[in-house]
Amino acid sequence: MWTKLGSGMLLGAALLAGADIHGTITIERKLTRHNVTASAGIYQRGASIELGADAEENPLAFERSHVAVYIEGPQASLSSEAANASIEQRDRRFVPDLVVVPAGSTVSFPNFDPIFHNIFSLSKAKSFDLGNYPKGQTRLVTFATPGIVAVYCHLHPNMAATVVVAPSRWATRADDNGAFALKDVPAGTYVVVAWHKAAGTFRKTVTIGGTNDAEADFTLPYVETSDEKHVAHR
Amino acid sequence: MRFATRTFLTSCVPFAVLLAVSFWAVRGTVMSTVRDGLRASVRENEVALAREQARNETRNRRLLQGVAENPTLKAGLQLLATERSARDQARNTVQDQLSEICDSLSFDFIMVSGAVGEPLAAVVRDAGGFTPVNAVRLRPPEQGFFSADDRLYEVSSVPIYEAGAQVATLTVGGRFEIARFGVPAVLMHQGAVVAAQMRDLAPAQIENALGTCAAGADCEVSIQDQAYLSLPLGLTAGGGDGYVLRSLQNVDAASAPLQAALQKLFLVSGFAALGAMLGISALSSRSIAGPLARVAAHLRHSAASGELPEFPDSQGGVQEIQDLTRGFNHAAKAIREGRERLTRAYVQFVGSLAQALDARDAYTAGHSRRVSEYSCAIAKAMDLPEQDLETIRVGALLHDLGKIGISDLVLQKPGRLTPEEDQLIRQHPVIGRRILENVQGLEAYLGIVELHHENWDGTGYPCGLKGDEIPLGARIVKVADAYDAMTSDRPYRRGMSHAEALAVLRSASGSQMDPTVVEAFAMLGDQRKQQAVLNEARSLHSLSLAVRSETTARAGSTTSKPEAALKIVHDPAIRGRQAVTPEKEAL
Repeated sequence: MWTKLGSGMLLGAALLAGADIHGTITIERKLTRHNVTASAGIYQRGASIELGADAEENPLAFERSHVAVYIEGPQASLSSEAANASIEQRDRRFVPDLVVVPAGSTVSFPNFDPIFHNIFSLSKAKSFDLGNYPKGQTRLVTFATPGIVAVYCHLHPNMAATVVVAPSRWATRADDNGAFALKDVPAGTYVVVAWHKAAGTFRKTVTIGGTNDAEADFTLPYVETSDEKHVAHR
Repeated sequence: MRFATRTFLTSCVPFAVLLAVSFWAVRGTVMSTVRDGLRASVRENEVALAREQARNETRNRRLLQGVAENPTLKAGLQLLATERSARDQARNTVQDQLSEICDSLSFDFIMVSGAVGEPLAAVVRDAGGFTPVNAVRLRPPEQGFFSADDRLYEVSSVPIYEAGAQVATLTVGGRFEIARFGVPAVLMHQGAVVAAQMRDLAPAQIENALGTCAAGADCEVSIQDQAYLSLPLGLTAGGGDGYVLRSLQNVDAASAPLQAALQKLFLVSGFAALGAMLGISALSSRSIAGPLARVAAHLRHSAASGELPEFPDSQGGVQEIQDLTRGFNHAAKAIREGRERLTRAYVQFVGSLAQALDARDAYTAGHSRRVSEYSCAIAKAMDLPEQDLETIRVGALLHDLGKIGISDLVLQKPGRLTPEEDQLIRQHPVIGRRILENVQGLEAYLGIVELHHENWDGTGYPCGLKGDEIPLGARIVKVADAYDAMTSDRPYRRGMSHAEALAVLRSASGSQMDPTVVEAFAMLGDQRKQQAVLNEARSLHSLSLAVRSETTARAGSTTSKPEAALKIVHDPAIRGRQAVTPEKEAL
């Protein structure tokens, strides 16, 4: 999916002949606490636990890889491009538990567990209830409005996922090292947004002129000595 | 039985018995008090435990109320109720939820039943995790003990409401393991022991003992001769499918260490007290018996010696003994005084007798006294004991008593005696003996009186004894008598000088006289001479006084012969012209 999205972005970049925005997310401490016991299901007892990006092995990598980065701005809204993503239910967890999609994208929720799930959201950007459905079935949800959508399961209070609906197609997740790249952004002034579930939203203004790449580094959570503004958004 | 033994027995034995009995009684009381106290404390503990358990159940109930309001569980139940196509998955979903609840709340058993009690789903904790169990046959009680798959659970139930109507019942429970229970307890099901902490008791014994206990009440039972206290534990008692959980505490075992300590204390103190009492009574009996024994020894000595010596003042400081000895001392003193008086009286009597005898003849005046003095001096020189001295002194005074029975004509005949007269004279020792032998207490002097004319070589009279057959007293008196006779004046001659008399005595030594006595007298004479030179004036004076008093005593006697005699004695010129045998002179 990401490759697909990436290749689409590359295609766009080639057409528009824009520049890239590179950056690094720096997170120095753990922001998320996991309840390993509660999230482990009866069917996987004794099996190895796959908590997104091995949270227990390298918690900072987990935190960095759970940062969504996208750009805002007057130009950005024009070039929205729909994409498809999927959040699976496996072992009473959402896999992946974070997807970043441009507005208008459709996300599927296939159930691979031998039990029922009932996925719903009460978020402003998109509220829905998919009802109970067993293994093998899937449901589709289209996210038209940009925003943060928190997804839960009625039957399993421990299950949670986030769909970040970006206003433009320049949206991505940072990798384990915190590095990200937004390819082929046309010239102009943008606000680069970094969002983390626990730390909140961080903004940085970047101007792209010609084909010069721009840099946008973030340090999460916000450090007081910095003069950059941020809005905590939960 | 000895006095000490009796004192000991009468003082020790009753007290020992009394002490032992009172110790036993006190011990019994203390033991039962300790046991009662312990029983009370055990009961309090158990009551507190039962109350705590009841409180825990209440708390569990509150917790369960919260669990029952779990919206996801309700959603699951709704799913289970409405899903028709994938019922297995729906049940899986609910079992999954139950497992999660079970895990997060640390239960071992969880189950939901429908509105009318029909079992829906159940999960139990297993070695590896949670296992769904076939709930169809399970009918857990609302509260109490419950057995599933051979495991015992203590369960509680709570209803799940939706819009005020009960839609299901949630039952949760933990594994019940009696070994991990806080107090010794036993779980019974319909009268049979299911689990018990007491491994040393057979289930049948517990069943028999607790069978008599009323449900829901505490009771005391006896198992294997040990007292046990049993209390119903928790709200589950009596309910829950015939399960009964009771505590079963061994009161005797709990109080055993204390009892043992007390027993030891009692034994030690009891034996210590008995020992102390034994020692004290032995000492006290000895303190009585010791002085008594000394008194007894003293009395035995008195009896053996015939003397009545006084007791020393303090006899062990015991008042009674002192009184006793003091009384004895008084009595002894009285007896001694009486005896002395008697002796004095008798000596005076003897002196009077001697004087009376001497008084018959002016020439023999003082003879008995002098003989007595000489004899005493000889006896002293021979180192005779005091008692013999006394015998000799008195015996010498009386030696011529028999002359009372001799006619004055014969006795005072100035010339030579005829053989008949001589024979008469020779009777006087026997007569003396006859006179004295009828007087009690004078037996000791009979020998001297009767035998003072026996000769060393056996030629004397009246018996003709010789050598050592003659009593020493008689031998001494014989020498003294002869000496006094020779040195005394007679109407027909002057007395001899000391040296002359001594020479005569020496010549008769071995024949008439005992050589040892003569020798002793000779030595004595030397000493006397020296003494006489030293004390001449005084002696003269005292002698003249004595003579004068004697003269005065002899009423009617006007002669001044004693003075003349005295002069003559001290005038060597008119002394001893005629040598006579001592025998003749000593008549």
